[in-house]
Amino acid sequence: MKALLKRDHWPLWVVLSVMALALILPAILPWTYDQIDWDAVRAPAFSGSHIFGTDEIGRDRLARLAAGTQVTLMVAIAAALVSLVVGIAWGATAGWVGGKVDEAMMRFVDALYALPFMFIVILLMVIFGRSILLVFVGIGLVEWLTMARVVRGQVMALKQRPFILAAEAAGSPPLTIILKHILPNIAGVALAYLMLTVPQVVMVESFLSFLGLGVQEPLTSLGILVKEGADDMDMTPLGLLLPGGLLVLLLVCLTIEGERLRDTYS
Amino acid sequence: MTAVPTLLAIILASFFLMRLAPGGPFDGERPLPPETQAALQTAYGLDKPLWEQAWIYVSRLVQGDFGPSLVYRDFTVSELVAQGLPISLTLGGLAIILALLIGISAGLFAAVRAGKAADKTIMMIATVATALPTFVTGPALALFFGLWLDLLPVSGTGEGWSWLIMPVIALALPVSGAIAKLTRAGLATVLKQDHIRTARARGLPETKILFKHGLRPALVPVASYLGPAAAGLLTGAVVVETVFGLPGLGRYFVQGALNRDYPLVLGVVTLYAALIILFNLFADLIYGWLDPRMREG
Repeated sequence: MKALLKRDHWPLWVVLSVMALALILPAILPWTYDQIDWDAVRAPAFSGSHIFGTDEIGRDRLARLAAGTQVTLMVAIAAALVSLVVGIAWGATAGWVGGKVDEAMMRFVDALYALPFMFIVILLMVIFGRSILLVFVGIGLVEWLTMARVVRGQVMALKQRPFILAAEAAGSPPLTIILKHILPNIAGVALAYLMLTVPQVVMVESFLSFLGLGVQEPLTSLGILVKEGADDMDMTPLGLLLPGGLLVLLLVCLTIEGERLRDTYS
Repeated sequence: MTAVPTLLAIILASFFLMRLAPGGPFDGERPLPPETQAALQTAYGLDKPLWEQAWIYVSRLVQGDFGPSLVYRDFTVSELVAQGLPISLTLGGLAIILALLIGISAGLFAAVRAGKAADKTIMMIATVATALPTFVTGPALALFFGLWLDLLPVSGTGEGWSWLIMPVIALALPVSGAIAKLTRAGLATVLKQDHIRTARARGLPETKILFKHGLRPALVPVASYLGPAAAGLLTGAVVVETVFGLPGLGRYFVQGALNRDYPLVLGVVTLYAALIILFNLFADLIYGWLDPRMREG
Protein backbone atom coordinates (compact mmCIF):
# COMPACT_ATOMS: atom_id res chain seq x y z
CA MET A 1 0.00 0.00 0.00
CA LYS A 2 2.84 2.34 0.91
CA ALA A 3 4.43 1.75 -2.51
CA LEU A 4 1.27 3.06 -4.17
CA LEU A 5 1.67 6.44 -2.48
CA LYS A 6 4.88 7.17 -4.42
CA ARG A 7 4.85 9.91 -7.03
CA ASP A 8 5.33 7.37 -9.83
CA HIS A 9 1.81 6.15 -9.32
CA TRP A 10 0.05 9.41 -10.16
CA PRO A 11 -1.87 7.80 -13.08
CA LEU A 12 -3.50 5.36 -10.70
CA TRP A 13 -4.52 8.21 -8.42
CA VAL A 14 -6.01 10.14 -11.33
CA VAL A 15 -8.13 7.10 -12.21
CA LEU A 16 -9.15 6.55 -8.59
CA SER A 17 -10.11 10.22 -8.21
CA VAL A 18 -12.23 10.11 -11.37
CA MET A 19 -13.86 6.94 -10.05
CA ALA A 20 -14.58 8.56 -6.67
CA LEU A 21 -16.04 11.66 -8.34
CA ALA A 22 -18.23 9.50 -10.56
CA LEU A 23 -19.59 7.75 -7.49
CA ILE A 24 -20.10 10.86 -5.35
CA LEU A 25 -21.40 13.38 -7.90
CA PRO A 26 -24.77 11.75 -8.66
CA ALA A 27 -25.62 12.03 -4.95
CA ILE A 28 -24.84 15.76 -4.80
CA LEU A 29 -26.04 17.06 -8.16
CA PRO A 30 -29.55 18.51 -8.39
CA TRP A 31 -30.15 16.59 -11.67
CA THR A 32 -30.12 12.89 -12.45
CA TYR A 33 -28.49 11.65 -15.64
CA ASP A 34 -31.79 10.90 -17.42
CA GLN A 35 -33.80 13.86 -16.15
CA ILE A 36 -34.84 16.39 -18.79
CA ASP A 37 -34.74 20.09 -18.03
CA TRP A 38 -37.27 21.45 -20.54
CA ASP A 39 -36.24 25.04 -19.87
CA ALA A 40 -32.59 24.48 -20.71
CA VAL A 41 -31.99 22.55 -23.92
CA ARG A 42 -28.37 22.78 -25.14
CA ALA A 43 -27.60 25.19 -22.30
CA PRO A 44 -24.00 26.45 -22.33
CA ALA A 45 -21.63 25.67 -19.47
CA PHE A 46 -22.19 27.36 -16.08
CA SER A 47 -25.82 28.23 -16.81
CA GLY A 48 -27.88 27.94 -13.65
CA SER A 49 -27.43 24.61 -11.90
CA HIS A 50 -25.87 22.95 -14.98
CA ILE A 51 -22.11 23.22 -14.49
CA PHE A 52 -21.22 21.79 -17.93
CA GLY A 53 -24.53 22.78 -19.53
CA THR A 54 -27.07 20.35 -20.99
CA ASP A 55 -27.21 18.11 -24.04
CA GLU A 56 -29.47 18.28 -27.10
CA ILE A 57 -32.54 17.16 -25.16
CA GLY A 58 -31.82 19.06 -21.95
CA ARG A 59 -30.11 16.49 -19.77
CA ASP A 60 -27.39 17.66 -17.36
CA ARG A 61 -23.96 16.94 -18.89
CA LEU A 62 -22.07 16.51 -15.64
CA ALA A 63 -24.63 14.06 -14.28
CA ARG A 64 -24.45 12.07 -17.53
CA LEU A 65 -20.65 12.09 -17.44
CA ALA A 66 -20.66 10.71 -13.90
CA ALA A 67 -23.21 8.01 -14.76
CA GLY A 68 -21.36 7.08 -17.96
CA THR A 69 -18.01 6.86 -16.19
CA GLN A 70 -19.54 4.60 -13.55
CA VAL A 71 -20.88 2.19 -16.15
CA THR A 72 -17.72 2.24 -18.27
CA LEU A 73 -15.41 1.55 -15.33
CA MET A 74 -17.74 -1.06 -13.84
CA VAL A 75 -17.90 -2.96 -17.13
CA ALA A 76 -14.13 -2.61 -17.48
CA ILE A 77 -13.34 -4.01 -14.05
CA ALA A 78 -15.83 -6.85 -14.36
CA ALA A 79 -14.60 -7.81 -17.83
CA ALA A 80 -10.97 -7.58 -16.78
CA LEU A 81 -11.74 -9.97 -13.90
CA VAL A 82 -13.39 -12.43 -16.31
CA SER A 83 -10.26 -12.28 -18.47
CA LEU A 84 -8.10 -12.76 -15.36
CA VAL A 85 -9.93 -15.90 -14.27
CA VAL A 86 -10.08 -17.45 -17.75
CA GLY A 87 -6.48 -16.45 -18.55
CA ILE A 88 -5.04 -17.84 -15.32
CA ALA A 89 -7.01 -21.07 -15.54
CA TRP A 90 -5.99 -21.65 -19.17
CA GLY A 91 -2.37 -20.52 -18.82
CA ALA A 92 -1.72 -22.34 -15.54
CA THR A 93 -3.17 -25.60 -16.89
CA ALA A 94 -1.12 -25.40 -20.09
CA GLY A 95 2.07 -24.47 -18.25
CA TRP A 96 1.64 -27.07 -15.53
CA VAL A 97 0.60 -30.06 -17.65
CA GLY A 98 3.06 -29.22 -20.46
CA GLY A 99 3.77 -31.50 -23.42
CA LYS A 100 1.13 -32.12 -26.07
CA VAL A 101 -1.68 -30.57 -24.01
CA ASP A 102 0.32 -27.37 -23.61
CA GLU A 103 1.13 -27.28 -27.29
CA ALA A 104 -2.51 -27.77 -28.30
CA MET A 105 -3.77 -25.17 -25.79
CA MET A 106 -1.28 -22.55 -26.88
CA ARG A 107 -1.88 -23.26 -30.57
CA PHE A 108 -5.52 -22.47 -29.85
CA VAL A 109 -4.52 -19.16 -28.26
CA ASP A 110 -2.28 -18.34 -31.26
CA ALA A 111 -5.14 -19.09 -33.64
CA LEU A 112 -7.53 -16.85 -31.70
CA TYR A 113 -4.97 -14.04 -31.69
CA ALA A 114 -5.10 -13.95 -35.47
CA LEU A 115 -8.90 -13.72 -35.63
CA PRO A 116 -10.85 -10.56 -36.36
CA PHE A 117 -12.28 -10.90 -32.90
CA MET A 118 -14.06 -7.64 -32.71
CA PHE A 119 -16.37 -8.86 -35.45
CA ILE A 120 -17.28 -12.00 -33.56
CA VAL A 121 -18.09 -9.84 -30.51
CA ILE A 122 -20.24 -7.58 -32.67
CA LEU A 123 -22.09 -10.64 -33.99
CA LEU A 124 -22.59 -11.87 -30.41
CA MET A 125 -24.02 -8.50 -29.40
CA VAL A 126 -26.43 -8.49 -32.32
CA ILE A 127 -27.52 -12.06 -31.67
CA PHE A 128 -27.99 -12.21 -27.93
CA GLY A 129 -29.37 -8.73 -27.41
CA ARG A 130 -27.37 -6.09 -25.66
CA SER A 131 -27.51 -6.92 -21.98
CA ILE A 132 -24.78 -5.31 -19.92
CA LEU A 133 -23.87 -8.75 -18.55
CA LEU A 134 -23.17 -10.04 -22.01
CA VAL A 135 -21.12 -6.97 -22.85
CA PHE A 136 -18.55 -7.73 -20.19
CA VAL A 137 -18.62 -11.50 -20.50
CA GLY A 138 -18.10 -11.12 -24.24
CA ILE A 139 -15.25 -8.65 -23.83
CA GLY A 140 -13.67 -10.63 -21.00
CA LEU A 141 -13.68 -13.78 -23.10
CA VAL A 142 -11.85 -11.94 -25.87
CA GLU A 143 -9.23 -10.26 -23.74
CA TRP A 144 -7.86 -13.30 -21.84
CA LEU A 145 -5.35 -14.37 -24.48
CA THR A 146 -2.37 -12.27 -23.37
CA MET A 147 -3.01 -13.19 -19.74
CA ALA A 148 -2.96 -16.89 -20.63
CA ARG A 149 0.37 -16.54 -22.46
CA VAL A 150 2.01 -14.62 -19.63
CA VAL A 151 0.73 -16.95 -16.90
CA ARG A 152 1.85 -20.02 -18.85
CA GLY A 153 5.38 -18.64 -19.17
CA GLN A 154 5.52 -17.88 -15.46
CA VAL A 155 4.21 -21.30 -14.47
CA MET A 156 6.70 -23.06 -16.77
CA ALA A 157 9.55 -21.18 -15.11
CA LEU A 158 8.28 -21.79 -11.57
CA LYS A 159 7.71 -25.49 -12.17
CA GLN A 160 11.47 -26.14 -12.20
CA ARG A 161 12.12 -24.31 -8.93
CA PRO A 162 13.21 -26.44 -5.92
CA PHE A 163 10.32 -25.43 -3.66
CA ILE A 164 7.78 -26.66 -6.19
CA LEU A 165 9.70 -29.89 -6.75
CA ALA A 166 9.82 -30.30 -2.96
CA ALA A 167 6.06 -29.83 -2.67
CA GLU A 168 5.58 -32.42 -5.39
CA ALA A 169 7.94 -34.84 -3.70
CA ALA A 170 6.04 -34.35 -0.45
CA GLY A 171 2.94 -35.58 -2.24
CA SER A 172 0.84 -32.41 -2.56
CA PRO A 173 -1.85 -32.76 -5.22
CA PRO A 174 -1.31 -30.55 -8.32
CA LEU A 175 -4.27 -28.29 -7.59
CA THR A 176 -2.95 -27.52 -4.11
CA ILE A 177 0.49 -26.74 -5.52
CA ILE A 178 -0.96 -24.43 -8.14
CA LEU A 179 -3.23 -22.63 -5.69
CA LYS A 180 -0.86 -22.45 -2.72
CA HIS A 181 2.60 -22.18 -4.24
CA ILE A 182 2.29 -20.98 -7.82
CA LEU A 183 -0.53 -18.45 -7.81
CA PRO A 184 0.95 -16.28 -5.02
CA ASN A 185 4.17 -16.11 -7.03
CA ILE A 186 2.53 -14.95 -10.24
CA ALA A 187 0.16 -12.51 -8.53
CA GLY A 188 2.37 -9.49 -9.27
CA VAL A 189 2.71 -10.16 -12.98
CA ALA A 190 -0.96 -11.07 -13.24
CA LEU A 191 -1.88 -7.80 -11.55
CA ALA A 192 0.28 -5.84 -13.99
CA TYR A 193 -1.39 -7.46 -16.99
CA LEU A 194 -4.81 -7.05 -15.37
CA MET A 195 -4.01 -3.35 -15.21
CA LEU A 196 -3.11 -3.37 -18.91
CA THR A 197 -6.31 -5.26 -19.76
CA VAL A 198 -8.54 -2.62 -18.19
CA PRO A 199 -7.84 0.09 -20.83
CA GLN A 200 -8.25 -2.53 -23.58
CA VAL A 201 -11.65 -3.40 -22.21
CA VAL A 202 -12.64 0.25 -21.84
CA MET A 203 -11.70 0.70 -25.48
CA VAL A 204 -13.77 -2.30 -26.64
CA GLU A 205 -16.80 -1.36 -24.54
CA SER A 206 -16.77 2.23 -25.76
CA PHE A 207 -16.28 1.05 -29.33
CA LEU A 208 -19.34 -1.22 -29.07
CA SER A 209 -21.39 1.50 -27.40
CA PHE A 210 -20.29 3.96 -30.07
CA LEU A 211 -21.69 1.65 -32.74
CA GLY A 212 -24.89 1.35 -30.72
CA LEU A 213 -24.20 -2.27 -29.81
CA GLY A 214 -22.98 -1.97 -26.23
CA VAL A 215 -24.75 -0.62 -23.19
CA GLN A 216 -28.34 0.37 -23.94
CA GLU A 217 -30.49 3.33 -22.94
CA PRO A 218 -31.49 4.40 -20.35
CA LEU A 219 -28.05 3.30 -19.11
CA THR A 220 -25.24 5.37 -20.51
CA SER A 221 -21.48 4.94 -20.90
CA LEU A 222 -18.61 7.10 -22.07
CA GLY A 223 -18.80 5.47 -25.50
CA ILE A 224 -22.49 6.41 -25.83
CA LEU A 225 -21.75 9.96 -24.68
CA VAL A 226 -18.98 10.29 -27.27
CA LYS A 227 -21.40 9.05 -29.92
CA GLU A 228 -24.13 11.49 -28.84
CA GLY A 229 -21.56 14.28 -28.73
CA ALA A 230 -20.23 13.43 -32.19
CA ASP A 231 -23.75 13.49 -33.63
CA ASP A 232 -24.40 16.94 -32.19
CA MET A 233 -20.92 18.45 -32.39
CA ASP A 234 -21.80 21.19 -34.87
CA MET A 235 -24.26 22.61 -32.31
CA THR A 236 -22.52 21.91 -28.98
CA PRO A 237 -18.87 20.81 -29.30
CA LEU A 238 -18.67 20.44 -25.51
CA GLY A 239 -20.81 17.31 -25.81
CA LEU A 240 -18.00 15.59 -27.74
CA LEU A 241 -14.99 17.17 -26.05
CA LEU A 242 -15.98 16.42 -22.44
CA PRO A 243 -16.64 12.65 -22.64
CA GLY A 244 -13.95 12.22 -25.31
CA GLY A 245 -11.38 14.01 -23.17
CA LEU A 246 -12.33 12.09 -20.03
CA LEU A 247 -12.18 8.78 -21.90
CA VAL A 248 -8.72 9.58 -23.31
CA LEU A 249 -7.53 10.70 -19.84
CA LEU A 250 -8.65 7.40 -18.30
CA LEU A 251 -7.16 5.32 -21.11
CA VAL A 252 -3.81 7.15 -20.98
CA CYS A 253 -3.53 6.90 -17.18
CA LEU A 254 -4.49 3.22 -17.10
CA THR A 255 -2.00 2.43 -19.88
CA ILE A 256 0.89 4.29 -18.22
CA GLU A 257 0.17 2.68 -14.85
CA GLY A 258 -0.12 -0.79 -16.38
CA GLU A 259 3.14 -0.44 -18.30
CA ARG A 260 4.96 0.74 -15.18
CA LEU A 261 3.66 -2.23 -13.18
CA ARG A 262 4.66 -4.59 -15.99
CA ASP A 263 8.17 -3.16 -16.15
CA THR A 264 8.50 -3.56 -12.38
CA TYR A 265 7.52 -7.22 -12.42
CA SER A 266 9.28 -8.48 -15.54
CA MET B 1 -0.58 -23.86 -44.15
CA THR B 2 -3.24 -23.52 -41.50
CA ALA B 3 -4.72 -20.58 -43.41
CA VAL B 4 -7.48 -22.48 -45.27
CA PRO B 5 -8.88 -24.46 -42.30
CA THR B 6 -8.75 -21.32 -40.13
CA LEU B 7 -10.69 -19.37 -42.72
CA LEU B 8 -13.24 -22.18 -43.09
CA ALA B 9 -13.66 -22.38 -39.31
CA ILE B 10 -14.30 -18.63 -39.09
CA ILE B 11 -16.86 -18.76 -41.91
CA LEU B 12 -18.75 -21.69 -40.37
CA ALA B 13 -18.62 -20.23 -36.86
CA SER B 14 -20.05 -16.92 -38.07
CA PHE B 15 -22.63 -18.72 -40.20
CA PHE B 16 -24.10 -20.69 -37.30
CA LEU B 17 -23.72 -17.86 -34.77
CA MET B 18 -25.78 -15.58 -36.94
CA ARG B 19 -28.56 -18.11 -37.40
CA LEU B 20 -28.95 -18.42 -33.64
CA ALA B 21 -30.13 -14.83 -33.64
CA PRO B 22 -33.79 -14.08 -33.08
CA GLY B 23 -35.40 -12.05 -35.84
CA GLY B 24 -34.88 -12.38 -39.56
CA PRO B 25 -34.05 -10.24 -42.56
CA PHE B 26 -37.68 -9.89 -43.63
CA ASP B 27 -38.99 -8.37 -40.39
CA GLY B 28 -40.06 -4.95 -41.55
CA GLU B 29 -42.15 -2.24 -39.94
CA ARG B 30 -45.27 -4.19 -40.83
CA PRO B 31 -45.19 -8.00 -40.54
CA LEU B 32 -45.45 -9.68 -43.96
CA PRO B 33 -48.26 -12.16 -44.55
CA PRO B 34 -47.10 -15.72 -43.72
CA GLU B 35 -47.38 -16.86 -47.38
CA THR B 36 -45.04 -14.06 -48.51
CA GLN B 37 -42.65 -14.89 -45.67
CA ALA B 38 -42.60 -18.52 -46.74
CA ALA B 39 -42.12 -17.63 -50.40
CA LEU B 40 -39.20 -15.35 -49.55
CA GLN B 41 -37.67 -18.05 -47.33
CA THR B 42 -37.89 -20.56 -50.19
CA ALA B 43 -36.57 -18.11 -52.76
CA TYR B 44 -33.43 -17.47 -50.70
CA GLY B 45 -33.07 -21.11 -49.63
CA LEU B 46 -33.61 -20.28 -45.95
CA ASP B 47 -36.11 -23.13 -45.52
CA LYS B 48 -33.53 -25.86 -46.07
CA PRO B 49 -31.77 -27.53 -43.10
CA LEU B 50 -28.97 -25.38 -41.68
CA TRP B 51 -26.17 -27.80 -42.57
CA GLU B 52 -27.35 -27.89 -46.17
CA GLN B 53 -27.46 -24.08 -46.28
CA ALA B 54 -23.91 -23.91 -44.87
CA TRP B 55 -22.72 -26.42 -47.49
CA ILE B 56 -24.40 -24.50 -50.32
CA TYR B 57 -22.93 -21.24 -49.03
CA VAL B 58 -19.37 -22.54 -48.81
CA SER B 59 -19.48 -24.30 -52.17
CA ARG B 60 -20.69 -21.10 -53.85
CA LEU B 61 -18.11 -19.06 -51.98
CA VAL B 62 -15.30 -21.20 -53.39
CA GLN B 63 -16.49 -20.11 -56.84
CA GLY B 64 -16.37 -16.46 -55.75
CA ASP B 65 -20.15 -16.11 -55.34
CA PHE B 66 -21.09 -14.41 -52.07
CA GLY B 67 -24.82 -14.76 -52.76
CA PRO B 68 -27.50 -12.06 -52.91
CA SER B 69 -27.93 -9.32 -50.32
CA LEU B 70 -31.21 -9.79 -48.45
CA VAL B 71 -31.73 -6.13 -47.62
CA TYR B 72 -30.17 -4.26 -50.55
CA ARG B 73 -32.42 -6.30 -52.86
CA ASP B 74 -31.02 -5.03 -56.16
CA PHE B 75 -27.43 -5.89 -55.35
CA THR B 76 -25.43 -9.07 -54.85
CA VAL B 77 -23.03 -9.15 -51.92
CA SER B 78 -20.15 -9.34 -54.41
CA GLU B 79 -21.25 -6.03 -55.93
CA LEU B 80 -21.53 -4.31 -52.53
CA VAL B 81 -18.20 -5.70 -51.43
CA ALA B 82 -16.56 -4.68 -54.70
CA GLN B 83 -17.67 -1.11 -54.00
CA GLY B 84 -16.54 -1.11 -50.37
CA LEU B 85 -13.29 -3.03 -50.54
CA PRO B 86 -11.19 -0.46 -52.46
CA ILE B 87 -12.16 2.27 -49.98
CA SER B 88 -11.34 0.16 -46.93
CA LEU B 89 -8.09 -1.09 -48.48
CA THR B 90 -6.98 2.45 -49.38
CA LEU B 91 -7.73 3.64 -45.83
CA GLY B 92 -6.00 0.69 -44.17
CA GLY B 93 -3.04 0.62 -46.55
CA LEU B 94 -2.30 4.34 -46.26
CA ALA B 95 -2.75 4.19 -42.48
CA ILE B 96 -0.24 1.37 -42.04
CA ILE B 97 2.31 3.07 -44.29
CA LEU B 98 1.92 6.34 -42.37
CA ALA B 99 2.13 4.51 -39.03
CA LEU B 100 5.32 2.69 -40.09
CA LEU B 101 6.92 5.94 -41.29
CA ILE B 102 6.08 7.92 -38.15
CA GLY B 103 6.60 5.04 -35.73
CA ILE B 104 9.97 3.85 -37.01
CA SER B 105 11.46 7.34 -37.33
CA ALA B 106 10.21 8.38 -33.87
CA GLY B 107 11.51 5.15 -32.33
CA LEU B 108 14.87 5.56 -34.07
CA PHE B 109 15.17 9.16 -32.95
CA ALA B 110 14.34 8.21 -29.34
CA ALA B 111 16.76 5.26 -29.29
CA VAL B 112 19.66 7.42 -30.49
CA ARG B 113 18.99 9.82 -27.63
CA ALA B 114 18.34 7.06 -25.10
CA GLY B 115 17.87 8.36 -21.56
CA LYS B 116 17.75 12.02 -22.62
CA ALA B 117 14.75 14.34 -22.41
CA ALA B 118 13.90 13.88 -26.11
CA ASP B 119 13.70 10.11 -25.62
CA LYS B 120 11.38 10.41 -22.64
CA THR B 121 9.15 12.96 -24.35
CA ILE B 122 8.80 10.86 -27.49
CA MET B 123 8.03 7.73 -25.50
CA MET B 124 5.41 9.60 -23.46
CA ILE B 125 3.78 10.88 -26.65
CA ALA B 126 3.87 7.34 -28.06
CA THR B 127 2.11 5.98 -24.96
CA VAL B 128 -0.57 8.64 -25.23
CA ALA B 129 -0.98 7.89 -28.95
CA THR B 130 -1.56 4.17 -28.32
CA ALA B 131 -4.40 5.10 -25.97
CA LEU B 132 -6.23 7.29 -28.51
CA PRO B 133 -9.39 5.52 -29.68
CA THR B 134 -10.35 6.23 -33.30
CA PHE B 135 -13.95 6.99 -32.31
CA VAL B 136 -12.70 9.96 -30.25
CA THR B 137 -9.89 11.20 -32.53
CA GLY B 138 -12.07 10.85 -35.64
CA PRO B 139 -14.90 13.16 -34.52
CA ALA B 140 -12.41 15.48 -32.75
CA LEU B 141 -10.39 15.90 -35.96
CA ALA B 142 -13.60 16.47 -37.91
CA LEU B 143 -14.61 19.12 -35.38
CA PHE B 144 -11.30 21.03 -35.48
CA PHE B 145 -10.24 20.77 -39.11
CA GLY B 146 -13.64 20.28 -40.68
CA LEU B 147 -16.13 22.43 -38.80
CA TRP B 148 -13.99 25.07 -37.10
CA LEU B 149 -11.10 25.62 -39.51
CA ASP B 150 -13.09 24.46 -42.54
CA LEU B 151 -9.96 22.98 -44.16
CA LEU B 152 -11.04 19.40 -44.84
CA PRO B 153 -14.31 17.69 -45.79
CA VAL B 154 -16.20 16.28 -42.80
CA SER B 155 -17.99 13.48 -44.57
CA GLY B 156 -18.15 11.54 -47.81
CA THR B 157 -15.49 10.87 -50.41
CA GLY B 158 -15.90 14.01 -52.53
CA GLU B 159 -13.38 14.88 -55.23
CA GLY B 160 -9.60 14.77 -54.89
CA TRP B 161 -7.75 13.12 -52.03
CA SER B 162 -8.43 15.51 -49.17
CA TRP B 163 -11.19 13.27 -47.75
CA LEU B 164 -8.58 10.64 -46.93
CA ILE B 165 -6.44 12.84 -44.68
CA MET B 166 -8.43 12.82 -41.43
CA PRO B 167 -9.61 9.18 -41.52
CA VAL B 168 -6.07 7.96 -42.23
CA ILE B 169 -4.56 10.07 -39.43
CA ALA B 170 -7.18 8.89 -36.93
CA LEU B 171 -6.47 5.27 -37.92
CA ALA B 172 -2.68 5.59 -37.95
CA LEU B 173 -2.16 7.40 -34.62
CA PRO B 174 -2.50 4.47 -32.17
CA VAL B 175 -0.60 2.10 -34.46
CA SER B 176 2.28 4.55 -34.91
CA GLY B 177 2.60 4.92 -31.14
CA ALA B 178 2.89 1.16 -30.71
CA ILE B 179 5.42 0.90 -33.56
CA ALA B 180 7.54 3.72 -32.08
CA LYS B 181 7.71 1.87 -28.75
CA LEU B 182 8.59 -1.45 -30.36
CA THR B 183 11.30 0.13 -32.53
CA ARG B 184 12.79 1.96 -29.56
CA ALA B 185 12.82 -1.20 -27.40
CA GLY B 186 14.20 -3.34 -30.25
CA LEU B 187 17.02 -0.90 -30.98
CA ALA B 188 17.92 -0.59 -27.30
CA THR B 189 18.53 -4.37 -27.15
CA VAL B 190 20.30 -4.63 -30.50
CA LEU B 191 22.66 -1.70 -29.87
CA LYS B 192 24.08 -3.53 -26.84
CA GLN B 193 25.01 -6.62 -28.84
CA ASP B 194 28.47 -7.81 -29.82
CA HIS B 195 28.20 -7.19 -33.55
CA ILE B 196 27.42 -3.52 -32.92
CA ARG B 197 30.40 -3.21 -30.59
CA THR B 198 32.56 -4.82 -33.28
CA ALA B 199 31.22 -2.36 -35.85
CA ARG B 200 31.97 0.54 -33.52
CA ALA B 201 35.46 -0.84 -32.86
CA ARG B 202 36.08 -0.97 -36.60
CA GLY B 203 35.37 2.73 -36.63
CA LEU B 204 32.27 2.65 -38.85
CA PRO B 205 30.29 5.87 -38.96
CA GLU B 206 27.42 5.89 -36.45
CA THR B 207 24.71 6.32 -39.11
CA LYS B 208 25.97 3.25 -40.98
CA ILE B 209 25.99 1.22 -37.74
CA LEU B 210 22.47 2.34 -36.98
CA PHE B 211 20.87 1.79 -40.38
CA LYS B 212 22.90 -1.12 -41.70
CA HIS B 213 23.52 -3.22 -38.57
CA GLY B 214 21.11 -1.95 -35.96
CA LEU B 215 17.75 -1.23 -37.51
CA ARG B 216 17.12 -4.47 -39.38
CA PRO B 217 17.25 -6.86 -36.40
CA ALA B 218 15.56 -4.22 -34.25
CA LEU B 219 12.49 -4.27 -36.50
CA VAL B 220 11.71 -7.95 -35.84
CA PRO B 221 9.25 -7.11 -33.01
CA VAL B 222 7.62 -4.54 -35.31
CA ALA B 223 7.07 -7.24 -37.94
CA SER B 224 5.42 -9.56 -35.44
CA TYR B 225 3.13 -6.70 -34.42
CA LEU B 226 1.92 -6.19 -38.00
CA GLY B 227 -0.64 -9.02 -37.77
CA PRO B 228 -2.47 -7.66 -34.71
CA ALA B 229 -2.05 -4.16 -36.16
CA ALA B 230 -3.91 -5.18 -39.31
CA ALA B 231 -6.77 -6.56 -37.22
CA GLY B 232 -6.82 -3.31 -35.23
CA LEU B 233 -6.85 -1.21 -38.38
CA LEU B 234 -9.79 -3.13 -39.84
CA THR B 235 -11.75 -2.64 -36.61
CA GLY B 236 -10.79 1.02 -36.54
CA ALA B 237 -11.88 1.32 -40.16
CA VAL B 238 -15.42 0.35 -39.12
CA VAL B 239 -15.53 3.39 -36.83
CA VAL B 240 -13.77 5.75 -39.20
CA GLU B 241 -16.07 4.80 -42.07
CA THR B 242 -19.09 5.40 -39.82
CA VAL B 243 -17.75 8.72 -38.49
CA PHE B 244 -16.74 10.13 -41.87
CA GLY B 245 -19.62 8.61 -43.83
CA LEU B 246 -17.42 6.56 -46.16
CA PRO B 247 -19.06 3.67 -48.04
CA GLY B 248 -16.44 1.05 -47.11
CA LEU B 249 -16.73 -2.55 -45.94
CA GLY B 250 -17.11 -1.58 -42.29
CA ARG B 251 -20.31 0.33 -42.91
CA TYR B 252 -21.83 -2.62 -44.75
CA PHE B 253 -20.82 -4.84 -41.84
CA VAL B 254 -22.57 -2.70 -39.24
CA GLN B 255 -25.64 -2.13 -41.42
CA GLY B 256 -25.80 -5.81 -42.32
CA ALA B 257 -25.49 -6.96 -38.71
CA LEU B 258 -28.27 -4.63 -37.60
CA ASN B 259 -30.56 -5.68 -40.48
CA ARG B 260 -29.85 -9.42 -40.25
CA ASP B 261 -28.56 -9.39 -43.80
CA TYR B 262 -26.89 -12.80 -43.37
CA PRO B 263 -25.01 -13.06 -46.69
CA LEU B 264 -23.72 -9.48 -46.45
CA VAL B 265 -22.35 -9.91 -42.92
CA LEU B 266 -20.86 -13.31 -43.77
CA GLY B 267 -19.27 -11.92 -46.90
CA VAL B 268 -17.65 -9.03 -45.02
CA VAL B 269 -16.45 -11.27 -42.15
CA THR B 270 -14.99 -13.73 -44.68
CA LEU B 271 -13.14 -10.94 -46.46
CA TYR B 272 -11.87 -9.45 -43.21
CA ALA B 273 -10.65 -12.84 -42.01
CA ALA B 274 -8.97 -13.53 -45.37
CA LEU B 275 -7.29 -10.11 -45.28
CA ILE B 276 -5.97 -10.63 -41.76
CA ILE B 277 -4.71 -14.12 -42.56
CA LEU B 278 -3.03 -12.82 -45.74
CA PHE B 279 -1.44 -10.03 -43.77
CA ASN B 280 -0.11 -12.46 -41.17
CA LEU B 281 1.49 -14.53 -43.95
CA PHE B 282 3.02 -11.36 -45.37
CA ALA B 283 4.32 -10.43 -41.89
CA ASP B 284 5.95 -13.88 -41.65
CA LEU B 285 7.78 -13.20 -44.93
CA ILE B 286 9.05 -9.85 -43.64
CA TYR B 287 10.07 -11.62 -40.45
CA GLY B 288 12.26 -14.04 -42.37
CA TRP B 289 13.80 -11.22 -44.39
CA LEU B 290 14.61 -9.20 -41.26
CA ASP B 291 16.02 -12.09 -39.28
CA PRO B 292 17.55 -14.87 -41.45
CA ARG B 293 17.67 -17.22 -38.43
CA MET B 294 13.87 -17.48 -38.66
CA ARG B 295 13.92 -18.89 -42.19
CA GLU B 296 14.77 -22.46 -41.14
CA GLY B 297 11.86 -23.27 -38.83
